[in-house]
Amino acid sequence: MKRLLFGTAMALGLTGMAAAEGYKIGISNTVQGNGWREQMVCAMKAEALASGKVESLNIAHRNTDAAGQLEDIRNLIQAGVNAIVVNPSNSEGINAAIKEATDAGIVVVAVDQAVTEPSAYILSNNQTEYAYLGAKWLFEQMGGKGAVVYMRGAAGAGADNDRDVGFKKAMAEFPEITVAQEVFTGWQQDQGKQQINDIIAAGVPFQGIWTSGIDNVIVDALVESGAPMVPVVGADNAGFVGQLSSVEGLQGAAVTNPGSVGGAGVALAIQILDGKMPAEKTVLVNPALWENVTDEGKAKLAAAANPNLSPEWPVSVSIDGWTSYTMDQIIACKGPGE
Amino acid sequence: MTRWIEANSWTLGLAVLLAALLLMTKLIQPDFGASGLESLARAALPFALATVGMAIVVIAGGIDLSIAAMMAVASVTGAVLMDGATDAQSIPIVIGVLLLGLAMGAINGTLIVVTRVPDIVVTLAMLFVWQGVALLILNAPGGGIAPWLRGLITGSFGPDWLPRAIVFLAVVTAVIWLPIRRSKLGLRLYAIGSDPLAAFRSGVPVGQTRIVAYALCGLFAALGGLSVSMGTGIGEPIPGPYLLASVAAVVLGGVVLGGGRGGLLGPILAVLILRTVRMDLTLLSVDPNVAAIIEGSIMVAVVMFGAVLATRGRHA
Repeated sequence: MKRLLFGTAMALGLTGMAAAEGYKIGISNTVQGNGWREQMVCAMKAEALASGKVESLNIAHRNTDAAGQLEDIRNLIQAGVNAIVVNPSNSEGINAAIKEATDAGIVVVAVDQAVTEPSAYILSNNQTEYAYLGAKWLFEQMGGKGAVVYMRGAAGAGADNDRDVGFKKAMAEFPEITVAQEVFTGWQQDQGKQQINDIIAAGVPFQGIWTSGIDNVIVDALVESGAPMVPVVGADNAGFVGQLSSVEGLQGAAVTNPGSVGGAGVALAIQILDGKMPAEKTVLVNPALWENVTDEGKAKLAAAANPNLSPEWPVSVSIDGWTSYTMDQIIACKGPGE
Repeated sequence: MTRWIEANSWTLGLAVLLAALLLMTKLIQPDFGASGLESLARAALPFALATVGMAIVVIAGGIDLSIAAMMAVASVTGAVLMDGATDAQSIPIVIGVLLLGLAMGAINGTLIVVTRVPDIVVTLAMLFVWQGVALLILNAPGGGIAPWLRGLITGSFGPDWLPRAIVFLAVVTAVIWLPIRRSKLGLRLYAIGSDPLAAFRSGVPVGQTRIVAYALCGLFAALGGLSVSMGTGIGEPIPGPYLLASVAAVVLGGVVLGGGRGGLLGPILAVLILRTVRMDLTLLSVDPNVAAIIEGSIMVAVVMFGAVLATRGRHA
C-alpha cells in the first residue's frame, strides 16, 4: 500500500515539475455553474492560449466564500505561479492573501469586481455605470413615471452593491419613478422566474422591469402569463438579446457586461509580466446599451446576436484593445496544454 | 497499548493518511514548507471548528443543518460590533459573540426537544432563520475585526512548522471539550446518542442533554464564524460551504451518523486531509470540475475502505 502511494506520488510529482517555459498563471473564481462566470473562465483560457506566452494555467474554480478564496489564492502562491487573475468574492475579504502574493512578487489582477488592496491591479466592468445606463433608459421609456420592479443580483456581492449605487442615482433623477418590488434573484434563473411569477400573480402594478442580468426568464414569464408587456432591461446575455429581436411587443435594452473581462485580465497580467506597466492601477471597461426601439439600436442588436453561443453567455465575447483570441477559441474554451 | 491502538485505529489511520498526503504535497511542490503548512492550517480553521461543533451534535445522536448560517450570524455580529472598536472593547464583544452562539444552539436544541419535530426539519428551518438574521445584521460583507484577533491565527508559534491556527484550534477545542468529555455530561452526550431510551431509563435527562449538545454546537459555530472573520478581516452574511463539508469530515473522521461513537480528533484530522487534497489538486492544476469529483470520490473510498476494515476486524 505504502509503495503504491509513494509510486503515485512520484508520478504526480514528476508531472508537476515539468520544464517551465513561459508564464504560469493562476486563476481564482468563486462562482461555478453560472453562464457569465463560465464565459469569463473560457476567456481567460482562450487569452492565455492566444497570447502564446503562457505555459500553464492553474485554475481554482469552485463555489465558495471569501475564506475559501483565501485558501485558493494561498494554494496558487504555493504552486509558484507568476501572476494570479482573480474574480474577488468581495472587495476586502481576500486582501490578506493578495498582499501575501504581491509580497512574494506575484502580479495580482482583480477582474470584474474591485479589491481595496492597493498592490493589486484592477480590471473591471464599470458596474455603477452598468446599472445607471440601463435604469436611465428604462425610466425614460416609462415616460418618467410609474413603478419599476427592481430585480437585483446577490445580496452582499460587490457588483450588486455598485449596481445599486447606479440604480439609485438614476432613481434620483426621476422623482416620479417608484419601486414596485425589490427582490434579490441571487443571479439564479429559477429563483428570478419564481419571483416575477409571484409578483405578477400578486397583481402588483408595474410599468417596467430592471434586472441585474437574470433577464430572459423574466421575458418568458411575461409571455407565459399573458401579462401586459412592459419595458425590460437586462444584460447582453445571448438568450435575452435574441428575445429583443424576436418577442412580439417587447421593448427592452441589453447593457453589455462582458465576461471577457477575464481574458482582458489575463492580457493585463501578461503585459505587466512583460514589463509594460499600465498608467493606472484600475482599468474600467464601460458598458454599452443596445435597445430595440430605434433602428440604430436594432442594428447593434442584430450585429451582436450569435446563435452559436450558449443562451446564458454574454454576446460581447471580446473587448477591443485587450483580448486577442478568436470567437472559435473562446467557444472551444481550451487553455494552454489542453 | 495494543488495546489503545485498536480503539483508536481509525484516528491513527487518518493521521498516517494525512502524513502521506503532506509527503506527497512535498513531492508535487518541492518548495512546500512552513508557509504552505501555515496557509493550510488557516484554511482549515473554520472548517475544523464547524466540524467539531457538528461532531458533538452527531455524537449526541442529532444533526445541525443550520451550522453554516449560525457561523454567518456570529461572523457579522462580531464584525459589526468590532468595527472601529478598541482592543479593550473587543474582548467583551468576543465573549458576547460566543454567548450568542451558545444561545442560537440552545434555541435549536430547545425547539427540537419541545416540539418533538425531527432535528433535521427544525435545523433546516432554522438555517433559513439564521440566514435571514445574518443578512438583517449586515446586508453586504463588511465591518471589521480587531487586529489582535487576526494575529492569533497568522504566522507560526515558536517553531516554524507549528502554525498558530493549529495551536488556536487545539487550545480552544481542548479547553471546551476535554472537561466536558471527562465529566458526567460527556458520558450523557454519548449515552443519548447511543440509545436515548436506555439513557432515559438510566436516569439521564435526555432533553436537557440534547439542548446542551446543540448549544455546544452553536458555541463552536460562533468560534467558526469568528475564525472566518479573523481570516478575511470582515463579516460575511452569506453562509460559506461549511455545512456539507463538516458533515463529510465528521463521517470521514469516524463519528457514526446516528450517534454514540467517535471522538473529535478524527474529524479534525479529516478536515486537514480534505484541505490537503484540495491544495494538491490546485498544485497539480487539475481541471476544477474534475477536482470536485475527485474530492467526493476520495471521501467515499476512504469511508468504504474503513467499513471493510471494520467488518474484517470483527470476523478475525
